Parts: sequence; C-alpha cells; structure tokens
Amino acid sequence: MRGGGMKEGFLVGGSLIIAGLLLQMSVGPVVWDVFRWPVNGIVLAGFLLLVTIIFLLRKTVYAFQFIGTTNAAIPALVYAVVLTILMGLTRQTVDGVWLHNMLSCWPFVLVYVYIAVILGQIILRRTLHFQWKRDVPFLLNHLGLFLAITTATLGNADMQRLKMMTVKGEPEWRAMTPQYQVVELPIAIELKDFIMETYDNGSPKRFASDIQIQTKTGKNIRTTVEVNKPVEVEGWKIYQYGYDTQMGAMSQTSILELVSDPWLPWVYTGIYMMLGGAVCMFVFGNKRRRV
Amino acid sequence: MTWDSFIYFSTTAVLLWGIGAWAAWKDKTTIAYATTISGLLVFFAFILSMWVSLERPPLRTMGETRLWYSFFLPLTGLIVYSRWNYKWILTFSTILSVVFICVNLFKPEIHDKTLMPALQSPWFAPHVIVYMFAYAVLGAATVVALYILIKGERSEVMGESLDNLVCVGLAFMTIGMLFGALWAKEAWGHYWSWDPKETWAAITWFSYLVYVHYTQIPTHKPKLALWVLLVSFVLLQMCWWGINYLPSAQGSSIHVYSLPS
Repeated sequence: MRGGGMKEGFLVGGSLIIAGLLLQMSVGPVVWDVFRWPVNGIVLAGFLLLVTIIFLLRKTVYAFQFIGTTNAAIPALVYAVVLTILMGLTRQTVDGVWLHNMLSCWPFVLVYVYIAVILGQIILRRTLHFQWKRDVPFLLNHLGLFLAITTATLGNADMQRLKMMTVKGEPEWRAMTPQYQVVELPIAIELKDFIMETYDNGSPKRFASDIQIQTKTGKNIRTTVEVNKPVEVEGWKIYQYGYDTQMGAMSQTSILELVSDPWLPWVYTGIYMMLGGAVCMFVFGNKRRRV
Repeated sequence: MTWDSFIYFSTTAVLLWGIGAWAAWKDKTTIAYATTISGLLVFFAFILSMWVSLERPPLRTMGETRLWYSFFLPLTGLIVYSRWNYKWILTFSTILSVVFICVNLFKPEIHDKTLMPALQSPWFAPHVIVYMFAYAVLGAATVVALYILIKGERSEVMGESLDNLVCVGLAFMTIGMLFGALWAKEAWGHYWSWDPKETWAAITWFSYLVYVHYTQIPTHKPKLALWVLLVSFVLLQMCWWGINYLPSAQGSSIHVYSLPS
C-alpha cells in the first residue's frame, strides 16, 4: 500500500475546482430544477453505485484507495471552507452568476460532491470492519452527514413552497409558486379569523390564523396556525406567513405558506443521527485513533 | 430585576472570580472552587431574574448573548481547571469574562420585554445557550493554543486537553447548529436556507472539522494544527457578530440582533 500525502489531496481538489470552472464556462451553472423526481432518485442510485464501485476497485486503482483517506478528506474540507467563505463574503442572489449564486456554481458543487464521495468510502470501509464501541459514534456522525447532505441536495427540487392568500369566509384551494404560477391543491382552507396581538409598545406579539381545512379525502379540520406553530395536513405543512399590514389586527386576509418536502424524513434521519453522534463525541471524548 | 442592577451583580461575581483566580495561583484549590462557584451563582441569579422580569429568555439581543458568554467563560475555565489543573486558566477566563461584562456595562442595549413571534419557540433557548457554551469552550481552546504558540512548549497533557476542549466545543456547536435547523423548519418552513448566518456557521463547523481530522494524523505538525485552531476562532467571530458588519449580509439575514422600532 502506498500512502498518498496531503499534497495529492490538494492537487485532486484543485483539479476539481479547475474542472468546475471549465464546466461553468462551457455549460453554465448547475440547473437544480432538473433534479425533480424521478431524476433525483436515478441520480442518487447512480451516485451510490459510483461510491460502491470506487470502493470495490480501491485495491486496483490507486486513486480510488486514496479517496478513502484522511489525506484526501482534509484538503477537501479546506477547499469547502475557502469556497464557502467566498460565498459568505459575496451577496447571494437568485439570478446571480458565478460567486453571486454559489449554490449553482460548479466548483462549489463539485467540492461538496467530492466530500460526499469521500464520506461514502470511509463509511463503507468502517461498516465492513464494524466494531461497536469504535464505530457507532463514527457512523452516526459520518453516515448522518452523508444522508443529510445527499438527500437535502437532491430532494430540494421536489420541495414545494406555495403562498396561499386566504380571505375570511371564502374557502381557497389555489396557491402561488415562487415563480407566480397558480397551483390547485387537494386541500381547501377557509380563514375564520385572523388574530394579532401586540405588546404595550406596539411591537407584534402574536400572529395567528384560525382556519378550517377541508381535504379531498373528506377530512374537515378546524385549527390555528401561528408563527413557529405550523400545522401538518396530508404532507403539507401550513405556516403563518403574512397578513394585510395596512389593516393590522383588523386584517380580513391571511397569507399562509404551504410547504411539501417529500425527502424531509431522510434529511431528518441524518440530522438526528448527527445529533446522536455529537452527544457521543461529548460523552466519549476525543480518543486519538492511530489507524 | 432590571438591567440597572447588573453592575452590582457583575462586580460581586467578578470579585469572587478574581479571588478564585488568585487562589488557583496559590494552590488553594478549595477556595478557588468555592469562590468561582459562588461567583457563577451570583451571575446566574442575575440572568434568571432577568428571565423572570422580562418574561422571556434573555437571549434576543447581542447584549443578552454576551451575558451568557460572560457566564459560560468562568464555567468553562472551572471545568478545565478541575480536569487539568492549569493555574492560569481561571485568570484568563475571568479577564475574558470581564471584557464582555464591560462591553455590556459601557454599551448597554435596550432590553425590553418584546420578543417577536418568530423567536417564541421552545428551540430558542437551547439553540442559543448550547451555541454560547460551544463558543466559550472553543474560546478556552484558543487561549490554550495561543499559550502554547507563545511559550513554544507543548506537553502531551496540553495537547490532549486541547483536543478534548475542541471535541466538546465542536460537539456543542454541532448540536446548536442542528437545533437551529430543526427550529428553522418550524419557523420558516425550511431547515437550511443558506442565510448568511447559516453560511458562516457551516464555514466555522467545517473549519473545526479540519482541526479534528488533521490532529488524527499521527505525523501532523502540531504548530500548523494550532494555527488552524486560531483561524477557526476568527471565522467563528465572523459567524457570531462579524456578519452584522458584513456588506454581503446586510438586509438578507434573519439573524439580525437588532431591535424592533
């Protein structure tokens, strides 16, 4: 076995960034909208296959073996830090290009994909040589992060965020996409009452909508939606979003946000695994492993 | 309880912590523990009474988070002292805490009762408190790193304690970040929106991950590792308050620590 140095890791990461720059110049930014179901499912399956193939061929192809080492991981993390700093220093806009829309910028995306590939390698290796005490915290941290970033990224295109304007006494089933397209929903919402409470100095204390929800499946629900307390109905989370600011507490309308994110359970599994991993890290401390 | 009485509580606490720091130098361990803990209790009594009188957790404004930081620093100092017996750590943690107390005394912010609806969540207190504790522990790690860099000597015990501090700090930082994500989903409809604060939180998190992974390599250069730690702490400052002054973050962050008009 040859041991690749960290210089190689920096070279690999650097080449990825150059490849990303070339891609960006030739095909333009990453178009995330393409990744709608079933495309994201296929891409995820392909990605997992790629990770597995790299792992299986690690003893034949030197570069594949290298990807699973700390010497590859650290430079990848450093590149992620540097690119994310650039993102943090540049104002991000939806219609921005290059640094102004880092999430669609190839070098940024490729570095994060590379991190996911590295994570995949070490997760597979540890799973094959599984030892309870050593590897449970390890897998919670690493598999949790792997799950969270892959499913959050690929599932993003399936997330729907709609705004619905409800008026007192009129059931509403149409909502608006961020691109101002009208969508018809399988649920209808009627505003019964809009509630706004203020502190003595006039600053807002509570916004809430007393609503009646009817679903196509025949459910009839009377409930209250308020800031920080969304309501979930048939895969849609309903949030208090806005109201008629000119009317204030007398507002006859309430704007609700409806969010559907079918990939959320996977992301949450990752998040809860990482929470467990963090607790392990605190309880068991940092044992230096000399592998 | 109002902000006006802060000066009495804080001077009492600082006095007690000062005696504790002195006692640690003189190897009077029992006195060091007793006074530092008393100081912490006095300080925490103020935080609690603020909580009660404001009818909300005192975590909203920058000044209020500084309050927690001034509390967690001596607490972290005491934990480090009990674990590794550094005589100087209590002095350092007291001085750092005094800096934050002074900022709050000389640049007080209005601490009214209002808490905007978006912050009225059971996630609010754990999210910020866990983060403040992480910041305090990582602050202590930075102090140890600076000490080693300046003194130029590094014992095995010191390296071990440094790694443990970072490990605990990173664990709490991870928990704080993920609590933030779970809360964001309930409040704003999405768990991660690459808001400037979130972007810098990711940067800081990755940066500490670099340290944790780098020190796992048996042949790593200790000095370089210390520098990674210092840079990480600078990035952390950016995440904590630096973005308030960052042009690219203006008007686009939901994490502004400003006051309603």
